Amino acid sequence: MLAVNMSENKTDVPYGTLDLLILKTLETMGPMHGYRIARRIEQVAENLLRLNQGSVYPALMRLEQQGWIRTQWGISETKRKVKFYSLTRAGSKQLSVEVANWERTTALVARFLEAES
Amino acid sequence: MNLRWAVARLAALFRKRNLDRELEDEIRAHLELAERDAIARGLTPEEARQAARRSFGGIEQMKEDHRDHRGVRWMENLLRDFRYGMASLARDPGFAAVAVGLLALGIGANAAMFSILDAVLLKPLPFPEPERMVRVWEAPPHSLPNVTSTLTFLDWKRQDSVFEALSVERSTRAAVGTGGDPARFPGKLVSADYFQVFGVKPRIGRTFAAGEDQPGAAPVVVLNYSFWQTRFGGDPEVLKRDLKLDGEPHRIIGVLPAGSFDRDEAVFWKPVIFAPGQMNREQHWLPAVGRLRAGVSLEQARSKMSILRSSLAGVMPSGKKEWGFAVDPFAQMLVGDTLRRTIYLAFGAVLMVLLIACANVANLTLAKGATRRKEMALRAALGASRGRLIGQLLTESLVLCLLGGAAGVAVAYVLLRAAAPLLAASLPFTADLSLDLRVLGFAAAAVMAVLILAGLLPSLQTSFGKLSHSLNQSARGSSGSSATLRRTIVIGEVAASVVLICGAALLLKSLMKLQQVDAGVRIDHVITMTADLPSTAYPSAESAARFYDAVVQRLRAVPGVEQASVSLDLPLQGVRWGESISLPGVTKTFHVDLKLVDPWYFDTLQIPLKSGRGIEDRDRAGAPPVVVINEEVARQLASSYGVANPVGRIVTIDVPGYGPVPESLVNLQIVGVIRSERTGGLHRPQGTVAYLPLAQAPRQDIKLVVRTRSDPLAAMTGIREAVRQVDSNLPLGDVRTMEQVKERSMLWAKQPTWVVGAFAGVAALLAALGLYGVLAHAVTQQRREIGIRMALGARPGDVLSYVLRSAFSMLIVGLAVGLAGAFGLTRVLKSLLFNVSALDPVALAVACVLMSLVGILAAWIPASRAARVDPIAVLRDEG
Repeated sequence: MLAVNMSENKTDVPYGTLDLLILKTLETMGPMHGYRIARRIEQVAENLLRLNQGSVYPALMRLEQQGWIRTQWGISETKRKVKFYSLTRAGSKQLSVEVANWERTTALVARFLEAES
Repeated sequence: MNLRWAVARLAALFRKRNLDRELEDEIRAHLELAERDAIARGLTPEEARQAARRSFGGIEQMKEDHRDHRGVRWMENLLRDFRYGMASLARDPGFAAVAVGLLALGIGANAAMFSILDAVLLKPLPFPEPERMVRVWEAPPHSLPNVTSTLTFLDWKRQDSVFEALSVERSTRAAVGTGGDPARFPGKLVSADYFQVFGVKPRIGRTFAAGEDQPGAAPVVVLNYSFWQTRFGGDPEVLKRDLKLDGEPHRIIGVLPAGSFDRDEAVFWKPVIFAPGQMNREQHWLPAVGRLRAGVSLEQARSKMSILRSSLAGVMPSGKKEWGFAVDPFAQMLVGDTLRRTIYLAFGAVLMVLLIACANVANLTLAKGATRRKEMALRAALGASRGRLIGQLLTESLVLCLLGGAAGVAVAYVLLRAAAPLLAASLPFTADLSLDLRVLGFAAAAVMAVLILAGLLPSLQTSFGKLSHSLNQSARGSSGSSATLRRTIVIGEVAASVVLICGAALLLKSLMKLQQVDAGVRIDHVITMTADLPSTAYPSAESAARFYDAVVQRLRAVPGVEQASVSLDLPLQGVRWGESISLPGVTKTFHVDLKLVDPWYFDTLQIPLKSGRGIEDRDRAGAPPVVVINEEVARQLASSYGVANPVGRIVTIDVPGYGPVPESLVNLQIVGVIRSERTGGLHRPQGTVAYLPLAQAPRQDIKLVVRTRSDPLAAMTGIREAVRQVDSNLPLGDVRTMEQVKERSMLWAKQPTWVVGAFAGVAALLAALGLYGVLAHAVTQQRREIGIRMALGARPGDVLSYVLRSAFSMLIVGLAVGLAGAFGLTRVLKSLLFNVSALDPVALAVACVLMSLVGILAAWIPASRAARVDPIAVLRDEG
């Protein structure tokens, strides 16, 4: 799912964070289809992130298997039948867990980096 | 890995095509949307298409990623191999049937045996906190523990800090119901808190309440489940009914749950109420079971009981000053040493059979593998990894093993259903033989073990051989390494069989020696039965004595009956009563078993007198008390007391009373010495036995012994009629000829012999099958070589001996290895052998000869087929 880094000031999606980004996106934006999710992540990241849009699909499938998101069939702007993804209750619980984890981890790393300097 | 996730993944396996299409659709929609946005930004359609693709990333790579996460890759392979394995088995149904049959036999026998082992030895007792359950005894020094007396039991019961519950558990019998059916049923006399000891709640109704074992309490009874079912048809209204026990109505207050209490002998339980005459410390009649208070260890209980014993020193009878109190775990008493050894032995034997069955399946798979080497080589050449090839072969073995395992569980079920009633008498009542989860788990473990043993080796062999070599070579000769492996496996099978046959031969020889032991009594043409005189009809010693006289009179008049007698115990079944014997004025005592017999006992069983006289008709109540001793007592008197001629001497023995009357010290005159009869097991040295006239010490639970002129069973009708004329309500139980009594006394030796013997037979057959398989395969593969040899002048006899030599080489090595194994392992047998060394040369030689014969028979078929090879036909085939 990680892409070749083609521009020096863009990073790949850090390992394991794509799930978090997707869950957060669905929480703020409500149900949306795969393309919109990928675009939304790119927009929020404002060119800081190098994302292969395709990599959201395996991630979505994984999240669905965990029961954190669910799918419904809908019609896209191009009049095509597509899957719309939305957060389940277990998903929003999971999101808060992952956010807390993330904050703890970054706080820990930050503290180490401060102690080093 | 939660359940939902697992289910989703499994579901994905089966929805593969749908999911792929859905993914395609999503990708297409995604790219369209991306193109549309790009065109909106001002790109040309062509540029927009490329930009959309670029930002999407590698499509194929993503799809793979999607699939990998979606389903389970190895699972997909597994399923494919599984289907392939099924198909390949279906193509060769003969192989499949033999392999599955072998595995079913092996796994089934093992699962059944494990169920027995588990139920008897491994599983905790089926009661809550079984480690708190104990038996409590009085323990004479240097002797087996003894049951206790009423007053001592009541002292124990007051030990609240030690026991949460303590109960009497005394077997009894009672005629149940009214009229017509005089059958007597076994039951138990217990204290009110008996079921607290076992922690058992009733299925319906209640168990005994405190106080129901006190004088004046209304008579109540608790039934077991099977009695409730058979006698009352499971009627829940049974609680409103009474059960007549020996004519006295008892209110049915509860029914126990199905299970352990159905396998115990008793069908009813009623409170024991002590009579004033039983309030003493002389009469030892109460076995006790207890439940320790939570937190009280066995050690603490023992030390508190020994403190209690010291405090009771002043009130204990003079002859029992040395006795202590013993507390033993309840479980310890349930399984005897012999049973434990027998079960381990049988389990070991059945494991061997499984190993041999595995070896056979491995051999079959190898033989099949040899013909599949080309297929494997081709697959390898086309790029299949070695791991995948092994995986595929293992999966095929897995299919075999799973089928074998499933059939094995069915075999185990059938075996257990067939064996349970046969084994019931030998196993403790707590042993529930069933195919529970533990047994199924064991069967699954066996399947895995078999898979590794019978599947891994052949798959490694087939896939690791020089595959390219196989492609070039036309499969003419047998491939070297595979043949060596198969021969090694056969040697192993022969060795394992030899170990089992040696064990069986040793046990059989031991059994034969046991059978030759002289029981000291007439065995043929003697029939025995039990009778139990109910207290209601026979309230006094005199009434019982009158019955003995009358019944013997009547029995003698039955046509075909030569002699009849009444006795408390039968030969070979042990003696229930033991006391110490002493000479007046001498403090030293020794133990004698007490047999109470009527004047015709010695004559009926043809036990000869050595000196003095036997018990005679004049030795009745009121006449001077007499005793007859066996040779061991005479020897003991001579060696310990210097009494050379015991006849005429006076000895002192505690003589049991009738019914609730306690025993009392009596001075008896020795009037004769008889040649010892075997009172206990044939394998044990005969102990000291004193015979008292039954008329001077009558008992209710008696045996009738009748000697007949012709077939003793044929005389039973007349015997029953004779007894009915004396007492029409008295049922006769346990009708057995002396031959049957003798056989039963040897059960401990017979069971392991037949079990190991049967398994040894199966093992030998399987080994023979293995040998046959290898030789037949070799002959098929070497047809051409044999044909050429014959064309060059070899005679059929040469070919025959060539194949047989090859069989011999395997047999000899197998025998050598097997004998070495037997030397190592038969030590296990030592304790089950009687008068036979575990290295008995005759038994071991017989085992080797048997195995060799079976082996040669197995080799003869392929050898003679080789000798019949037609060289012309073979060479033409090659053309």
